[in-house]
Amino acid sequence: MPAPVRGAIPAQAGIGLRSPHHEAILNTAAPPAWLEAHTENYFHAGGPAVRALERARARFPLSLHGVGLGLGSADPIDRRHLECVRDAVRRYEPALVSEHACWGHVDGEHFNDLLPLPYTEEAVEHLAARVREVQDFLGRQILVENLSAYVSFASSQLSEGEFLAALVERSGCGLLLDVNNAYVNAANLGLDLDAFFAALPRHAIQEIHLAGHARRRVGSRELLIDDHGSAVCDEVWVLYEDVLRRFGPVPTLIEWDNDVPPLATLLAEAARADQRLERCRAAAA
Amino acid sequence: MQQPRDAVPNLKALQAAFGRSVRSVIADDADLQLLAGSDDATVFGERIDVYRNNAWQFFLTALECTYPVLRRRVGTDFFRQLTREYRAQYPSRRGDLHWIGAAFPAWLASRMADTGYEWLADLARLEWACEASVAAARRDPVGLESLGRFDADLLPHLALVLQPSLQLVASPFPVWSVWQSNQCGDASSPIDLDTGAEHCVVACVAERVAVYRLEADDHRLLQLLCEGMSLGAATEAAATDAEALGRLLGWAFGEGLVVQIVSPFRSS
Repeated sequence: MPAPVRGAIPAQAGIGLRSPHHEAILNTAAPPAWLEAHTENYFHAGGPAVRALERARARFPLSLHGVGLGLGSADPIDRRHLECVRDAVRRYEPALVSEHACWGHVDGEHFNDLLPLPYTEEAVEHLAARVREVQDFLGRQILVENLSAYVSFASSQLSEGEFLAALVERSGCGLLLDVNNAYVNAANLGLDLDAFFAALPRHAIQEIHLAGHARRRVGSRELLIDDHGSAVCDEVWVLYEDVLRRFGPVPTLIEWDNDVPPLATLLAEAARADQRLERCRAAAA
Repeated sequence: MQQPRDAVPNLKALQAAFGRSVRSVIADDADLQLLAGSDDATVFGERIDVYRNNAWQFFLTALECTYPVLRRRVGTDFFRQLTREYRAQYPSRRGDLHWIGAAFPAWLASRMADTGYEWLADLARLEWACEASVAAARRDPVGLESLGRFDADLLPHLALVLQPSLQLVASPFPVWSVWQSNQCGDASSPIDLDTGAEHCVVACVAERVAVYRLEADDHRLLQLLCEGMSLGAATEAAATDAEALGRLLGWAFGEGLVVQIVSPFRSS
């Protein structure tokens, strides 16, 4: 395997490494500043995806983004899964490693989805303990991403922002701020975006995600579905500008996982994020 | 909406209720009360459908990706029905979607017993072998000329290490023919089950899955070599001869399937 690129991920736009672009990403004239890959796709010893990441890793700084640990599950963490994450981290040496503020399995069954947690004292204490366990096992800090959700729990005692701030304080993790998820939660659950962003500890935010969403009628009303299947909408771009004003320039990923468009489309989205990052830097100068 | 701390259900109870709601067609009223409280139970019950649908789609898509030939043979509707039945008995046990289909061939063998469609389970075994092969490590092959470095009288004592991606599947049905015809897009070609048994070898060569058909004797000999038997002992155990061994070795080395020659005295 070629030697990986080392060093921090720059405060520029990156894109997800997706199979339709395995070859093109190595040959494009205007490559992205960095790449993100889904950790679970690289658990195996071989295969085309593994070869592609090995080659890309020699050219680009990398973030590994997990979707399967189910950090907030009340049941014990799956040690086999965690060992696979550790092996992937050792193999690909990513600059950032991230997961989600969610749960995913109960009574031995995995739902292979990012399921929402109640914002309770018990849940934040439990999640913080799990994040500490993972960080101890990996020997490094991880970032935890705010979730898009379609339900809220009657038992919640904290706001989402307070929950994440407490998580950072108790676990020492960083945050991956998904701006689209916050927007979806505002639309679906009435999240107060101003209060949400105000509650987040600025120092902890080390990565931003931007993605598209769909609209679907569910029961009595329309919901925004965080499907990563389209371009970032205008409202989320505006929100992103607000986030940059609050938190400064942060490495920003364009997430587009379904109905993956041509590489040029993804790079154009990344360029839109880069323009805003540049304006943010200029305003601060 | 917020509750005093002493009224908060514990995390495990909430997740168990949520899990039951995702698993069931209609969520239980008591679970919805626990999750959402009495005011929002109806809305929660509607919205849990997003998670129910996600869990089903992720499971179905994972199985479709692992068993594309089987899906084409049985058709989309029947494949979905099989997936529902399989999932009820074998829900996902890992956070990694790759493993969802691991128990499917054995389950399908039981499901299809005495139906006349037992061959579908063997086709599934072949497709799972392809999945395992893709995920396996690749090692640099050694050439046939490597055997020339050993004294002739040592040859029967040599053993081979084969590519980790190599998988063997034997079936009393013509599953290689079914798999092969589907690679050409011919999903509906009739299967003549009277064609009889086929013996398959799956391996990843140049990042592509290759599925070979071997004669039964050669397949048996290769299986013994895979188990670590020496060339001489395997030839004897397979009740075959040096000519058959030579033919098999020529093919295996030529396809890049041999990664090491192990001598009782040294290895290459």
